[in-house]
Parts: sequence; C-alpha cells; structure tokens
Amino acid sequence: MTKVRVPSGAGESRGPLGLLLVAVPVFLLGWMTVWPILSGLVTTLFPKDAAGFSLELYDRFFSDDYSLDNLRLTLWTCGVTSLILLAVSVPLALYLRFARGPLASYVQTLAMFPMFVPSIILAFAFIRVLGPNGTVDTILNALGLAKIRSPYLTVWGPVIGLVWDNIPLTVLILTSGLGAVPNPAIEAARDVGARPLTLFVHIILPRMWSSIFVVISLTILGLFTAFTLPYVLGPASPEMMGPFMQRTFSDLRNPEMALTQATIVMGFCILFGLFYVRSVARNRRD
Amino acid sequence: MARLTLNALGKTFGTTTAVAAFSLDVKDGELVCLLGPSGSGKSTLLRMVGGFETPTSGEVLIDGEVVTRTPPERRPTAMVFQSHALWTHMNVFGNIAFGLRIRRLPKAEIASRVGRVLALVGLEGYGKRQTNQLSGGQQQRVAIARALVLEPKILLLDEPFASLDQHLRERLREEVRDIQHRLGITTLFVTHGQDEALSLADRIVVLKEGRAEQVGAPAEVYRSPATPFVAGFIGSMNRLPGSVEAGRFRHGALELPLEGVPDGPAELAVRPEHLVVRAAPGGGAASLRRLTDYGTHRIIDLETSEGARLKAQVADGADLPQGPGLQLEPTAWAVFRNDQVIARSPA
Ligand SMILES: Nc1ncnc2c1ncn2[C@@H]1O[C@H](COP(=O)(O)OP(=O)(O)O)[C@@H](O)[C@H]1O
Ligand SMILES: [Mg+2]
Repeated sequence: MTKVRVPSGAGESRGPLGLLLVAVPVFLLGWMTVWPILSGLVTTLFPKDAAGFSLELYDRFFSDDYSLDNLRLTLWTCGVTSLILLAVSVPLALYLRFARGPLASYVQTLAMFPMFVPSIILAFAFIRVLGPNGTVDTILNALGLAKIRSPYLTVWGPVIGLVWDNIPLTVLILTSGLGAVPNPAIEAARDVGARPLTLFVHIILPRMWSSIFVVISLTILGLFTAFTLPYVLGPASPEMMGPFMQRTFSDLRNPEMALTQATIVMGFCILFGLFYVRSVARNRRD
Repeated sequence: MARLTLNALGKTFGTTTAVAAFSLDVKDGELVCLLGPSGSGKSTLLRMVGGFETPTSGEVLIDGEVVTRTPPERRPTAMVFQSHALWTHMNVFGNIAFGLRIRRLPKAEIASRVGRVLALVGLEGYGKRQTNQLSGGQQQRVAIARALVLEPKILLLDEPFASLDQHLRERLREEVRDIQHRLGITTLFVTHGQDEALSLADRIVVLKEGRAEQVGAPAEVYRSPATPFVAGFIGSMNRLPGSVEAGRFRHGALELPLEGVPDGPAELAVRPEHLVVRAAPGGGAASLRRLTDYGTHRIIDLETSEGARLKAQVADGADLPQGPGLQLEPTAWAVFRNDQVIARSPA
C-alpha cells in the first residue's frame, strides 16, 4: 500500500477554505442521512400514544403476518435476484475480460445499456414483451404452442426486472475485479496445465471473491428500497417493502407504522452496508 | 531430452509483422539467447513456442513432433515470465505444487518434488511463505522452480530478471546457467541485454524487426558481427564513415589496406579494445578529448580530424599528448557497405 503523504506546505492552506469545502458535504450528510435516522429511531421508539420508551410499534410489525410475509418476500427477492444476477454477470464479465475484437465491444455496450433506461420504461417494456398478450405470448400463440404463464404480477416479475436493471453495475464491478488478475498469472496457470475450468476455480475465482461480495451487498442495499419495479411488476400481496412502505404511508395514512417499516429496512441495510465496508476494506488490504 | 525446431515461423498482428519467417534449430540441452532491442519480436517468438500466440505461418516442432497448434496446457514447455506471474493467493508451496496437483500426483510425491526444486533454486524452507513476503529475486526463483518442477522438455524465459537490480541479475543469471547445465534442459532465453546474452548463451540469435540478423556463438557474434546492426548492438563499437579508394579504406588521415574491395563509400567498425592509440609527433588522425577511469580499464574519448567521435581502451593513457597528434591503429575491424561486411581484419 502506498501511503499518501500530505506535503508540508499544504498544512498552511488547510485553513478556512479547506474547512468550508468539507463543511458542505458534512452538513448534507448530517441533514439528509444522520438526522432522518435519529429522528426515525426517536419517533418509533417513543411513539405518540406511549408515555415514553416503547417497542410497541416494532412489536406490532413483527407480530403481523402480513408485514412478516412482505419482509420475507423482500429477503427472498434479494437472495434470488443476487443469485441470478451473478449467474448472468460472472460469465459476461469473464467474456468481457478475455475476449478481444469488435464483438466484445459490442457486447460491452449492450451490457451497459440497461443503465441508461429508466425503471419505469423497463417495466412497461417488460409488460409488452412478457405480459399477457405480450410479444412472447403472441408468438407462441401464432405457432400454436401453449400459453406461457406470464411472470407479470407474480414474484418473478420484480426478480426479472431487477436482474436486468442491475446487470450493468454488477458487470462493471466484476470486470474491474477481474482486471486485478494479471495476464501472466493466467498464462502461467495454463502453462502448467490448467484447463479453463481449473483456471477459473483455482486462479480467477479466488481473486474475485471480494468484488462478488461488494456486488452482492450493493445489490441487496438497492433491492431493499426498490420501488418502481416491484410496484409495477410484482404481486399485490404479499408485496415488497418498497411498495408496502409507500402504501402504509399514503393509502393507509399511517406514517408512524411506515416509519417503523423504514427503520427495520434500514437495520437490514446497515447490516449489508457493514458487509460491504468489510469487503472493500479487505480488498484494499490485498 | 529435447530438440526444438522452428520452421519459417511468422506472426503478424494486423499490419505489424512481429516475426518474419524465422527458422532455428535448438539442439538438445542447448541454451539459446534471443537478443534484440525492445519491439524486435523476441517475446512473440517465445510465446509462439510456449503456445500463447498462434503463428500466422510456419511451424514449431519439439522432438520432431509438430506442436504449432497445441495449446500451452498440453505442451511440454514451461515459461518464466518477466513479472506478476505468481499466484498471490497461494503460498510458495502452493504455487509450485499447482501443476503437480492438476496432474493428481500423490501428496508425498508432490511434497518431495517441490522440496527438491526449492533446494535447486536455493529457497529451502520457503514453502510456507506468502509470495508478497518475498523479494523480487526470490519471486523469480519461485517462478523458475514452478517451471522446472514439471520437468518440461523446453524451458522458456522472457526477460526474467529485467526488473531486478544489476547485482541480483548477475547472480541469478549464473544460477540459471548452473541449473540449466545440471539438468541439461533445452532453453530459450529472451533478453535485451547483450552482457546477459554473452555470459549465458551457447548460441545467440540477434533479432531485428522480427528477423535474425545473425546466429552464432557469443564469441563469433562479438568478434565477427555480420551486420552493422549486430556490431552496434553487441558490445560497444566505433563506427567511422569513410570510403574505399584504390584498395585502401580512408577516414581522414586514418588508412587501412583492403584487398579486392571495389571503390565506394564504406564504414569501418572497430571496438574500443581493438584500437591502439599512439602519440604521433608529426600530427595524427585524432585528438584526445577525455579520459575516464573505470577501475578495471580506462577509456579515452577521441575526435578525428573529420569530426567523428571514437572510444579506445588504453592501459594508461596518461602519457598521451593533448591536442591533435594521435595515431590510430585498428587491430581487429570490419568494413561494411550497404549493411553487408565487405572486408574483415585477418584473423
Ligand atoms: N498482442 C499484440 N497485438 C499487437 N501487436 C503486438 C502484440 N504483441 C506484440 N505486438 C507487436 O509486435 C512487435 C514485437 O513485439 P514483442 O515480441 O513484444 O517484442 P520484444 O519482446 O522484442 O520487445 C512489436 O511491434 C509489438 O508492438
Ligand atoms: Mg518482450
């Protein structure tokens, strides 16, 4: 590791201007992140009806089957989406790392494409293609084949949409992780007799773990709070935490409960956030 | 053991020709150095032998068997890369044992073979070390051990010591020479350092722009360079432009008798140690500029009356007069015209 050393001259200019530059982000962080967290905790742990500290709101959430189902569905979606995402992105990243030529750059562009498509457009494209009487349905029908059971409005709807939406970032992070494996290290392995599978398992994968962990934690952080795709593509019940919070807040007009749900989601996110920080730290150390 | 034959081997990348119709026969147990400036196609040539690059023409034979399209994992060759080739997530033992484990050898045999090869490269007891706890020289030793443990027929080294300092480079060079002698393994060694090639090789191939300029034993390449490029690339060489007139090479007051050479422009090549410098009381061909003492020898810088700069190796030099008044006598030399040797000093 290289240590960054501040040149001694910089110390003098680190006066008011430096502080001012730091002050803006620190203020924003406090205002937009720390304050809401504290306020959320205080509001939910000291509810209006209780005369002080009370776990009543959390108790209500964790004893309500519907709420628990929603939490479970969210966790399930996170798990399944991450697995499918890796199954799709790891081969893609490997291909982009090792393939050369015009086809590879074409695939690269295609893999990054979802990044520039807003979720809402993605959702409607999904409905047009995979929904009832969508393209796939029509084609199957024209060929005289059975109707598919559309994933639209089932738990698989959000999974498919979220996988598609998350491919670019995942592929980016994984390819940059793969970039850390030097070519001579790979050629040396082939030289001593490693076939592609051995090469992947014993030489490439061990250097990829940390970027896989980073990807999983980042994806899960995003999935917990995903709204558009679960809302448009997912089932009405059970629903994922994103739409659930929104509905509790505006349809059921129960901001206190919505805040409780949000705090619980935040708890999970902090868990994965710590996981992320640890992977990054380990990455740095290597 | 093994013979390596390269038949009109060629490789082009798009419009660049990296290697052009290169042929070479490496005898069993021979150490051949590929020597040339950066970009001359040394690595490409070596990588084609190792199977990392597919030739666009020609073929590679090992013991008479064509392996031109065999992938590296099935070739009886082993390569030592310049750097960054160790697997940092494995310790030293793991790095060396990997190839043996792929071959599913019994544990005890793996351990004994790794132990033996570690001893060979002077790293006994280093098996448990992580690779990042090793110095650059030790890392390259591990890379050599890893290549040797599989008992390859051909050992390939691509500037293995280029990133190490001078002293270490010299020591490892000797060790490689020792090991190569002891095992009698056929070896191709790529380097851009002429001293490395001269001290290691049984034969040197001097490459320029993907072609062999000269193939020969170190002494031959050094004493009788076939082209001005070889003359200039190996060792230090003075080159004097001049002309041949009536059987004599002339550069100002410097004259050399040549036999059977047609008149025309020519270039004289003479090494500093083959240039005798004497004081000429009546005025001579060159004047003294500077004297540098290298401890083992002294070099004087000269300027001829025609304005050409020369170096000469002298025993003392303190006795030489300042100013014009030096006489030059080449004892071994070559005369080139159009990149060809047209005359050489009698052996
Ligand atoms: N993968 C490649 N793609 C394109 N050109 C290459 C590639 N590898 C080598 N070359 C070109 O081939 C020539 C020889 O390169 P190389 O064999 O690496 O030379 P050396 O090892 O003697 O420095 C150079 O001009 C280099 O730019
Ligand atoms: Mg090279």
